Amino acid sequence: MSVMTQICVLFAICLAGEAVSAVLPFPMPASVLSMVILLILLGLRLLKPKQLQAESDFLLNNMALFFVPANVGILRYKDAVLSNFWPIFLISLLTTPLVFFVTGHVVQLTMKLLRRKEAKRS
Amino acid sequence: MMEALLSTPLLGLVLCISTYLLGRWLQKKTGWILANPVIVASALCIVILILLDIPYENFALGGDIIHMLLGPVTAVLALGIYNQRAALKAYFVPVLVGCVAGSATSIFSILGLCRLFRLDEAITMALIPKSCTTAIALSVAESHGGLTAVTAFAVLIAGVTGCLCAPLFSKWFHITDPVAQGLATGACSHALGTSKAREMGELQGAMSSIAIGVCGLISVGITLFL
Repeated sequence: MSVMTQICVLFAICLAGEAVSAVLPFPMPASVLSMVILLILLGLRLLKPKQLQAESDFLLNNMALFFVPANVGILRYKDAVLSNFWPIFLISLLTTPLVFFVTGHVVQLTMKLLRRKEAKRS
Repeated sequence: MMEALLSTPLLGLVLCISTYLLGRWLQKKTGWILANPVIVASALCIVILILLDIPYENFALGGDIIHMLLGPVTAVLALGIYNQRAALKAYFVPVLVGCVAGSATSIFSILGLCRLFRLDEAITMALIPKSCTTAIALSVAESHGGLTAVTAFAVLIAGVTGCLCAPLFSKWFHITDPVAQGLATGACSHALGTSKAREMGELQGAMSSIAIGVCGLISVGITLFL
């Protein structure tokens, strides 16, 4: 597919995501729905990863750029952010090892149980 | 002349792209984790806007164009999951159980702490998706009325912490299984953590990048019920 076709296909998928999001009765982000739609199209082999390569490589390699405007948006909420800086910072910092700890141990336990089940079977 | 510059979206576009390129160059040059293009570009844009006294609304004319592309960026994350489908199939149960546990822990611990610190709804909803990758976290915060700027900041802290500490966390918490190490890294610190997980091993890297997508989807699901 030409780059222009790839852009068109991807934007069309996002448009479909917006449509589904508008119809759903709960606040599901349109962009995540577009991701699910693309995943389904890939799974059904209606699209091959290669066909979107130029467009997806460009977006994924420069992903950081697309986050900049949201960060600069902090200027609009300076006061709200500055007056709650420490709680925001502490919550973000402390929950990270907690998530690591729980996920790691839950997965380790699951792997152990699966192995035991397999050993019993053989 | 100033009037003309302020009224065109080109101002915001050039500011975002030029500072981003500078940040990317700086990271290549120094290899330092805090010289991350997102941090450098955002900080520079904010400083320039304040110093030159440019109103945010004028920057946003261009900024919104780039922000709109966040949708397609999130959509192509599907390729990341699809490309790892062999590893996903091989470890389907641990991936699913681990990502549900990780996402739920993240969301409910944040919710509890936000209540403890008496933060308002706009900040609470902004912090809740902070373990997800930025693209997904921003859309979740946006659709629940959270301040996206706070989300971006919190996601960054989680990412940098995970990237710096994933090997240490594995040691302290006695996580020795490579599948568990990878999923834990991806669940708590998304894409930035995944770069570290790749250094820890191939299986860790694959598991971490699977966790980004799967945790993102599960977190979106959990937040629907909040």
